[in-house]
Amino acid sequence: MTDWLPSLVSGAKHLGLNYGFVLNPFERTAWLSGIGVTLELVALALAASLLAGVGMAVLLTSNRPWLQHPVRVLIELTRNTPVLVQLYCAFFVVNMLLNRVLDGAQHNPLTAFAWVIIVLSIHYGAFHAEALRAGIESVPAGMRESAASLGFSRRQLLWHVELPLAIRFALPSLINNLINLVKTTALGSAIAVGEVTYTSLMIWTQHDNVLELMLFIFLVYGLLTLLVARLGRRLEHRLRMPGYGH
Amino acid sequence: MPLSPSSPEPLVRLKDVHLSFGRNNVLKGVDLTVKRGEAVSIIGPSGSGKSTILRCINGLLAPDRGQILVGDTAVHALRSESARIALRKRIGFVFQQYNLFPHLSVLENIVIAPVRILGVDRATAEREAGELLARVRLADKAGAYPGELSGGQQQRVAIARALAMHPELVLFDEVTSALDPETVGEVLAVIRDLVHDGLTCILVTHEMRFAEEVSHEVVFTEGGEIVEHGAPAALFHAPRNARTHAFINAVSH
Amino acid sequence: MAIEQTLAAKPQPETQAQPVAVAFAPNALLLAGLLLLWGLAGTCLGDTLSVLWQWTPLLAQGLKMNILISLLAIGGGTVLGVLIGALELSGSVWVAAPARAFVALFRNAPLLVLIFFTTYVFPFEIHIGSVYLPFPDWIKATVGLALPAAAQVAEIVRGAIGSIPSAQWEASASLAFSRAQTLRWIILPQCFRRVLPPWMNLYAMITMSTTLASLVGVTDLLESAKNASNTVNRTDFTILVYLAVLTLFFFYCYPIALLTRRLEHKFAIH
Repeated sequence: MTDWLPSLVSGAKHLGLNYGFVLNPFERTAWLSGIGVTLELVALALAASLLAGVGMAVLLTSNRPWLQHPVRVLIELTRNTPVLVQLYCAFFVVNMLLNRVLDGAQHNPLTAFAWVIIVLSIHYGAFHAEALRAGIESVPAGMRESAASLGFSRRQLLWHVELPLAIRFALPSLINNLINLVKTTALGSAIAVGEVTYTSLMIWTQHDNVLELMLFIFLVYGLLTLLVARLGRRLEHRLRMPGYGH
Repeated sequence: MPLSPSSPEPLVRLKDVHLSFGRNNVLKGVDLTVKRGEAVSIIGPSGSGKSTILRCINGLLAPDRGQILVGDTAVHALRSESARIALRKRIGFVFQQYNLFPHLSVLENIVIAPVRILGVDRATAEREAGELLARVRLADKAGAYPGELSGGQQQRVAIARALAMHPELVLFDEVTSALDPETVGEVLAVIRDLVHDGLTCILVTHEMRFAEEVSHEVVFTEGGEIVEHGAPAALFHAPRNARTHAFINAVSH
Repeated sequence: MAIEQTLAAKPQPETQAQPVAVAFAPNALLLAGLLLLWGLAGTCLGDTLSVLWQWTPLLAQGLKMNILISLLAIGGGTVLGVLIGALELSGSVWVAAPARAFVALFRNAPLLVLIFFTTYVFPFEIHIGSVYLPFPDWIKATVGLALPAAAQVAEIVRGAIGSIPSAQWEASASLAFSRAQTLRWIILPQCFRRVLPPWMNLYAMITMSTTLASLVGVTDLLESAKNASNTVNRTDFTILVYLAVLTLFFFYCYPIALLTRRLEHKFAIH
């Protein structure tokens, strides 16, 4: 390793900040792998939550009560209970039962990492679905009539008119949900998923340098939420409808 | 386009069509015949069921009672979505509020239905869309978005979008009512050309002078019934019914 | 006339009945899920329930802790947040900029990390002169929730004040109101109804977030449930106790959500 790192660390030491772990290759690698896991969690949960959200929104607006009602119940349940409790229910209850059904944990393909993604996708999918449903409902009735008059089927209406418009109407809410999702990945540490909060926890229990790692963590999440917000704004710009609205 | 203005063959026939929304009887036994290649205008006070007649013809609304025939298709008896879609492919509809898709460019608005619904290949659809845009005098607006156009321009795009499906029949629902007075003329000019080319049209309109000029027949509705119908000259200048007379007097002042 | 209901914009009689169905459906689903899981666990329900009954006092203690933390956090967060929101709107950059920085920092940090922060960085007691005030973990966790709550309240307040037409500021100024007087007597009273639904939403969010305190050793409902589950160490009990936690939170938060929606709807009409 080059010499700028030790000098930075000793510089920090003069400020009273203990970043010594950075010089230990083992601890440094462990901490950096935490960032990698956080990035994986964010990327996968983000994509899966959007898929789940679109799926739930489609079912929610399907006009078929037997499709609508179970989804509505799922959405109300997941929105009105703590994510951490959902995570425990998934990991300590459902996963345990799955282990039992599959004859032992070694046969269960779902890891703690996978459960975090599943729970976050359903939870934020529910928020996405609500935003998209509101978007679909605010598509003007005339737009539906005109699509029907051109011979669109209900499915074509949904995919070519309602959803594209709903996504545009819902985009600010969707981005907000995704920013919350990024922050919530920290809950992975509660079931020992080695994301950045967890690896930091491991290091500060060793070195008693909570404040130092806190600054790092704030930086990581700050950058990630900034990135999501930026990408969101760029998408908003690309999807804008010139002359529409304002 | 079929070019046979004097053909006696009827394309649209309505017989004793009734429709009510709750306790509100909107159509109370409407009879109407439109011959192929002709333009029929429906005039009458607001709330007399004019727009409802158009929505029954393309199956957006289903009548409670009566028969609606478009060619050989019994519209009143259509039960499946696919049957209604097959009907709507043959019938163009132009709305008062244009109803263009705001997230698609002008060109995309015109090609989406031919490509997605009829399965026309993209290149052909785009070439035809270009021709249609030229026909409605908007050749330079292909890349614009609906929100960037004036009302009159949007309405002409909406007409081009309907024509892109090669309809046998086009229904115009008060297409100039939402427009600025200056842009009404450009839309009417496009419709006039279409009628001259022999397109079968049904127009619900408040433009009495235009109705008189382009129509082969004019129908006066009031209270969900057809009060009088006939050649434009006769209906506008020598109405037989006192209510028709009163209405024409009222709107021409 | 029933063919194309989807296209014609007509009032659907269904919309009236729906809230009732939605309110009762979760219970049915919970019950069904419970029974299903029961089959998997393969135990007598009555026996498990009696074990749960023995643990009820401890669980109730835990729930009381969640509610206490949530009330203190929303209270503190609201007072601080209104103040910061007002500072954000101050004419002076020197006042507004730190307020904005506060909001940006505490809105973008994960709640769990903030709770870790207040728990590990703050001392365990505070010295004021010769008095030693204990600073227990549950209060630190409360602070960790109150700070982001304050940031959210500041945003809500700022949004509501911004939504009042600027003509009202001008009109008040022409009546010789100062900026602070305009805010106090003219703007804030109008903001109340705009602020109420998102504020209630925030309270529900905070209540759900109080479970994070369990991760820094506060004995809340979730921590009590976890302890009970580990102590009893029986599959059927584990299932029941976690579902009980889920259900308790649902029945605390869902009515708040319903009320919020009702208020939103009511205020949207006026």
